[in-house]
Amino acid sequence: MNKLSKKLSTLILFCSGAVFAGTTPEMLMKPPSDSWPAYHGDFSGQRHSALKQIDTANVKSLGMQWAFQSGVTTPFKCTPILVDGVLYISVTDHVWAVDARSGHQLWHYAYPENKGFHIGSRGVSMYGEWLYFLGPDGHLVCLNAKDGKVRWNVVVADSKKGYWTTMSPMIIRNHVIVGVSGDFDNLSGFLRSVDPETGATQWRWDSTPAAGTPNATTGGMTWITGTYDPQLNQLYWGTGNPTPVLTGSARPGNNENTCSIVSLNPDTGKMNCAFQASPHDTHDWDAVEVPVLADADFGGRPRKMLLQASRNGYFFVIDRVTGQNLLSKPFGPVNWSKGVDDKGRPIPDPKKEPATDGRLVTPNEGGMTNYRSPSFDPKTGLFLVDTKFGYGIYFAKPGDGTFGWAGADYDVYNHSALQAIDYKTGNIKWSHDLGPNAAQAGVLTTDGGLTFTGDSQGNTLALRTSDGATLWHAGAGSIMQNSPITYELDGRQYVLTTSGSVMFAWALPEK
Amino acid sequence: MAFVLQIFSWKVALIGAALAGAALAQNPAQIESGQGQFVAQCAFCHGRDAAGGEDGPDLTRSELVIQDKAGDKIGPVVRNGRTEHGMPRFNVSDQDLAALVAFIHNQEKMMKSQNGQRRGVDVSDVQTGNLEKGRAYFNGAGTCSTCHSATGDLKGLATRLQGLRLIQRFLYPRGAKATMTLTTAKGETFTGDLIYRDEFNVALRDASGKYVAFPAKSVKVTVNDPAEVHAGLLAKYTDDDIHNMMAYLQSLK
Repeated sequence: MNKLSKKLSTLILFCSGAVFAGTTPEMLMKPPSDSWPAYHGDFSGQRHSALKQIDTANVKSLGMQWAFQSGVTTPFKCTPILVDGVLYISVTDHVWAVDARSGHQLWHYAYPENKGFHIGSRGVSMYGEWLYFLGPDGHLVCLNAKDGKVRWNVVVADSKKGYWTTMSPMIIRNHVIVGVSGDFDNLSGFLRSVDPETGATQWRWDSTPAAGTPNATTGGMTWITGTYDPQLNQLYWGTGNPTPVLTGSARPGNNENTCSIVSLNPDTGKMNCAFQASPHDTHDWDAVEVPVLADADFGGRPRKMLLQASRNGYFFVIDRVTGQNLLSKPFGPVNWSKGVDDKGRPIPDPKKEPATDGRLVTPNEGGMTNYRSPSFDPKTGLFLVDTKFGYGIYFAKPGDGTFGWAGADYDVYNHSALQAIDYKTGNIKWSHDLGPNAAQAGVLTTDGGLTFTGDSQGNTLALRTSDGATLWHAGAGSIMQNSPITYELDGRQYVLTTSGSVMFAWALPEK
Repeated sequence: MAFVLQIFSWKVALIGAALAGAALAQNPAQIESGQGQFVAQCAFCHGRDAAGGEDGPDLTRSELVIQDKAGDKIGPVVRNGRTEHGMPRFNVSDQDLAALVAFIHNQEKMMKSQNGQRRGVDVSDVQTGNLEKGRAYFNGAGTCSTCHSATGDLKGLATRLQGLRLIQRFLYPRGAKATMTLTTAKGETFTGDLIYRDEFNVALRDASGKYVAFPAKSVKVTVNDPAEVHAGLLAKYTDDDIHNMMAYLQSLK
């Protein structure tokens, strides 16, 4: 083909709108209804869709449109992203591109065999036409979204030191922001922002200093993708527990910036302020649960808020402009705190710190909720969170040392429910039993008045958001371990859920 | 000394095993291969040293591991998972499974030889309670004697279970059989062992062994679940109650 005809065919392609562009900053700010371009959908973390083709009246007719079977035993834990009609999904060590209309695979990328902790992959992210995928061993890989070929691979955390990586990188303008994990060693927690074209580090924010720093602690891992306010230009992120995990005597004091929700400038990594959900934590209660952003009334006037249902059992409402705590209330039984202080922070009861002969604590180590994403429905003012009621026994003795886990804890009992919290009061409006043991599904709400999630026994559920009544279900065979998404293509609304190694697309019957 | 023992690198683990005199009867290369797999797939929950981590039990004290012979018990757990407790299933070749099993047993031997410096929960750690207070609680505020008898069903309890396993069992007896009664709209009743129950389906096995199942909405369901009775007590125990109960229960030999 000569140069002229090549230019002409490109021009024709461009005019017909068929050029593959991937994501744009505008798309990430205000995702169109035929997309889910980032981990949380948009920057707010509400996971609430305006789509209402599927509603409380017709959801009972929801049917399977297609299923994608990954062919690997690792279950899905990712939130799929959808851009230009193609879904990008992952499990640890694998990424697939799947046609969102048919469920057919476009390509598959396999990350090379490695020694990283294989816990899970929360998903991939997209900047322009490039995908960003974290291997479990601290490597960030940039893939071409068209064919899954590797562009570059950089080390963002040293897995030999004990770091591991599972999260979906956050894309804000030209920043690819990655968080790390690692509780079995005494390590400094950090966030790293890299250049999307080269992977070179732009900035690094340390939640805690290096091991051995006097009057400080290690830990504060940045496990899960945060949220972002474009007007304030603030990035909100939760940090994990301090290390050593169960032995607090080695690190007296509050252990600043661990178990905290922090706000940072995404261009510089400079911290603005922090709210500590669990001062001096000794129960492994990361505060990395989604810091959901909501603008609504509180106490009779409009507020820009941050809502978090935290692992330690408390529901927090923070004014995200001033950092002021507005509400701190348990969303289930807690027996480890003596109430909250004048800053709204729980006061840990020393009698419930791990001990040689064991202490019975509720919630237990997995927490009253965990990585799975909640949803905020602005119409009802309800914060929907997958809740685990549980008890555990915590042990720690000198022989356990002061490194890494430094103790032992054992679950005694678990039971799950989806709870709807009224954000204004912290009161539970309704609770839908999800069965024995731990459900592990995230939540999606829609303007169709629906809440989508999964129970602890393999059922995929659509509930009525106003009262939690079950309106539709599918016995999918394996528990949902990811968060559902929804989108509209060709005038049809689809809901995507997973169960084990299968991804399902649901929609109403074609007209 | 304890701090040094906690710096757990792979090579140190192997050298430590040799020095402790725990004979590496298995192929050291096999153990190293098992360790590599264990770290990648199992360590997050079970700890890098298999002595417990995030949510997963201490395998080095596990009854199942102690009784395992060349993977006959460990293999099924790895391949089927324990999904109700959050352990996924793993697709492993026979060769890889053998390596994993070799590593786990090596860890079990190694940890045993660490006498007194070993992390995790020893039986001696949980001996802080008062027997008489425990007996009074059992027969009084704890309401245990409503269903249990020291000379009846609990005779020999302490011979069967010790330490952490005993605490876990009395706090919540996993596997205690629940029974269920289903009544249809026509008034027919079915009673038996509860096999399954969720929002949509119920199933039991009756005394004759017959499997009986219904859509949950079509029957009235009543359940007798002894384990759930125990769960209801969890909010009532103080830690002193638990330790005193341990002292008393350990006397039921």
